[in-house]
Amino acid sequence: MARIAALDGGTYYHHRTLYEPRYRDFFDGVIYTRDIADARFEDYDVLIVSCRTDPSVLIPHRAKFERFLDAGKTLVIMGSTGPGNWLSGVDWHYTPTNFWWWKEGGTLGLHLVSPDHPLFSHITLADATWHHHGHFIVPDGATSLIDVGDLGSVLYEDRVTSAGTKIVTSLDPMYHHGSHFMPATTRFLDGFLPWLRGL
Amino acid sequence: MGICLFLNPIKGAGDDLPDVSGYATNIAQIDHYDLVDTDLAPYAALMLPAHLDQRFFGTMTGKVEDFLDGGGTLVFNGHVAWPMLPEFNTFVPLERSSLENLTIHRLCDHPVFDGVDPDHLTFRRGVAGFYARGCNPPPQGAIALHGVGPDHLPCDWVYDRPKGGRILMHAGNDLWMYAGSTDTTARIVPQLCNWAAGLN
Repeated sequence: MARIAALDGGTYYHHRTLYEPRYRDFFDGVIYTRDIADARFEDYDVLIVSCRTDPSVLIPHRAKFERFLDAGKTLVIMGSTGPGNWLSGVDWHYTPTNFWWWKEGGTLGLHLVSPDHPLFSHITLADATWHHHGHFIVPDGATSLIDVGDLGSVLYEDRVTSAGTKIVTSLDPMYHHGSHFMPATTRFLDGFLPWLRGL
Repeated sequence: MGICLFLNPIKGAGDDLPDVSGYATNIAQIDHYDLVDTDLAPYAALMLPAHLDQRFFGTMTGKVEDFLDGGGTLVFNGHVAWPMLPEFNTFVPLERSSLENLTIHRLCDHPVFDGVDPDHLTFRRGVAGFYARGCNPPPQGAIALHGVGPDHLPCDWVYDRPKGGRILMHAGNDLWMYAGSTDTTARIVPQLCNWAAGLN
């Protein structure tokens, strides 16, 4: 089983997601973002940069994230963390958030690109569908799992731009589960975290 | 007029956080973590965002209590999760998020919400739940302004501290997310800044 750590930005929604009983046992370590300098990333196989972690606290540690990947580990980059600011090889494009597509007759436009990927034995597309915060242009050789229209990916796996694995998403389930809002986000984490555990 | 000091969290992750610039004249803004080095004496009010690093803020209880003891106003948005101030109690969520449970009820008139239709708090472009999904239980002596659900959980309250200062609690997203809205909620930001500055 992969040993997982997650970053805690001190927000209420990180508290609910990381410390409350529903998911607590998935995290072998919780690292407060202002303690990153002294944290031992090497103790973990998977490091989750939790949704909406302030990029300004990550930028000073970009070399530490790169070293984690150089060691062959898995870095999970969640939504609204501005990864282009603190990690190389991530091409994120911000788009305004559509909270109302399901109420106003539109569609969010998400679709599975790699339906045979093991993640999808843990979650469905519906479990990943609430809204998204922008999209990514997937590096050559990396694998998108979910695209939005023909714009780009909202969830992809990159085993080519480093010695490790980047799992990158513009979805923000930890924020909304932590806010008691949008039940799909809880279903997403119910499947996503067990999948990470099995890496 | 007194100045309201807004803390800005999360820099560089898109522009989906509300910006009060231009919606009130008596505002100042600093980066979230600069609070530690900021002299609060020039300010009438401290405005805390829902994305607050509560662990960080909890290290400054003495500074914040001094500010309140001196007559300052504190506006808090979000769910209380970490120890910060003795007047704050851990968030209590609604048991279920049905439409009935998400309905916002006005319990007491207040200048911040003057002319704001509670239905416009319950529904945002037809979607319920943005405003509040539970409460941060108030201290004894606080006045509940809005309640959520049939049990009227006090999602908004004001408290005049015996030692001085005032706290306005909102257990939800930033009240300033309504800056520039097209319904009666547009009244909130200017009225909030006026009240926090001591004009009411």
